[in-house]
Amino acid sequence: MNTTSTSISLESVSKRYGSRNIIHDMSFSVSKGEIVGFLGPNGAGKTTTMRMIAGYTTATSGRVVVAGYDMATDNEEAARRIGYLPEQPPLYDVLEVAAYLRFVAKVKGVARSAVASELDRVIHACRLEAVVTREIYKLSKGYRQRVGLAQALLGKPEVLLLDEPTAGLDPGQIQETREVIRAFGADHAVLLSTHILPEVTLICQRVAIINDGRLLAIDSPDGLQRASEQTNRVSLIVTGPAEAIREALLGVEGVAAVEVRADRGDTLAIECQVDSRPEIAAAIARVVAARWSLHRLERQQPTLENVFLRYVGEEKSGAKA
Amino acid sequence: MNGVVAIYQKELATYFRSPIAYFVIAVFLLGTGYFFIYNIFLTGIGTMDETFQNMGILLVTLIPILTMRLFSGEYSARTMELLMTLPLKAWQIVIGKYLCAVTMLLLMTIATGINLIPLYLYGNPESSTILSGYIGFVLLGMACLAIGQFFSALTQNQIVAALITIPVLLAFWFIGHAQGFQASDSLRSLLGYLSFSQHFGDFIRGLLRTEAVAFYLVVSAIALTLNTSYLKWQR
Repeated sequence: MNTTSTSISLESVSKRYGSRNIIHDMSFSVSKGEIVGFLGPNGAGKTTTMRMIAGYTTATSGRVVVAGYDMATDNEEAARRIGYLPEQPPLYDVLEVAAYLRFVAKVKGVARSAVASELDRVIHACRLEAVVTREIYKLSKGYRQRVGLAQALLGKPEVLLLDEPTAGLDPGQIQETREVIRAFGADHAVLLSTHILPEVTLICQRVAIINDGRLLAIDSPDGLQRASEQTNRVSLIVTGPAEAIREALLGVEGVAAVEVRADRGDTLAIECQVDSRPEIAAAIARVVAARWSLHRLERQQPTLENVFLRYVGEEKSGAKA
Repeated sequence: MNGVVAIYQKELATYFRSPIAYFVIAVFLLGTGYFFIYNIFLTGIGTMDETFQNMGILLVTLIPILTMRLFSGEYSARTMELLMTLPLKAWQIVIGKYLCAVTMLLLMTIATGINLIPLYLYGNPESSTILSGYIGFVLLGMACLAIGQFFSALTQNQIVAALITIPVLLAFWFIGHAQGFQASDSLRSLLGYLSFSQHFGDFIRGLLRTEAVAFYLVVSAIALTLNTSYLKWQR
């Protein structure tokens, strides 16, 4: 049994389908009371990783431990402690919402006497009161998604895995769903995958960025932003001699590196790595505009979006090299 | 056991909320009724022998429609991901679904009992032979269901599942006919042993042979074991 507060742990996990490597040597952990966002472009391996943690597929190598149970040997014990919402909510269209939830509660081993109150709890949490007696095939996409979430919440699992839980919801529903996840995450381990960046800043304590089946970074949203602030960028479009401009820019305090590319004719596209002081952009503009013609100057803000693009982009150029 | 019961109830609810179950039962009862009337009233023989024979072949052709959705439907609706990640063992899923399919078979079988009313009113049938015929019918159905359920686990497409199951069941039904072309005795007896219709014929004649009972049960067990192993292997 698990004695620490680590609820999900991946140790050097890889997954291969035939000769194709889907996940490479991935290691991270999620503790109780923590919501971790799993961020990556489509096809990055988010769903495959989720499926390995949920026990739908097994890792080719490495170890997946959930709630203290090794998924390779004790997946059934672990399954009692996992609530899982796959990318496409797994619903039986012909059943009514209540019948479906009762089925899942029963399989999860919710005591017969507790089924009614447990159903009430998740129906209330996911705002399903209006559709309880309706057949699932009659529901809108938003409701289907929330029935899927209700199913995952049944039995108060120690670990909650949500594969794009807010996909297909309208803004109001997204807000409500985030509240449900945040409340649940207070005393459970939640891993949620998404490609909606603001979502992770809003509800996640930590973010794992993955691409091409590799874990690129895992940190708090603030930590990732700070890391990128050290390598803030200012981009310019200037007409003038490349070497002279480079020297002038390096002379500005706070500019660490300058990269010059020819754009059109003698117009240059320049990228400067700068520190996080806000006045640097103005200082650069003064120096350049005094001697050459400055067409454009843009300070790239260290939003999570940029952090994400930087990690994913770096990985791509690294792979090409 | 809870898992088996939950799967069973879910399957039963699913069967009766889609038109397939009603369709299969209706076609089966219509066919059986027609054969019964034809055999009894047009030929004037007061036994169930011929009718059982016809019910057998009708069952073999209808069972694939009953079993095709059992797993294929789960794959195409993406609900397999739910079943495989809930605290269920593969055998619980297989047995829960199988018991539900057997329940459908029993309902169909019981419904044909209506034919016995005129038989007993106007004739003098042998009850033990009829009982043995019904036992054989249910055992035959159980073997066919297990085979159909296994093939349903192999594909996402329900139609494909049915299209694989039909020729396989028909082959088991007619394989005895190939006996006449074999010179070797052992091959002849093997073909006869594998024949669904020859074992069923014993039951129809009122012979309740252990060998025939065991044959159908072993076939069912093999198909269900393959089904379970396949689900485990998929993971």
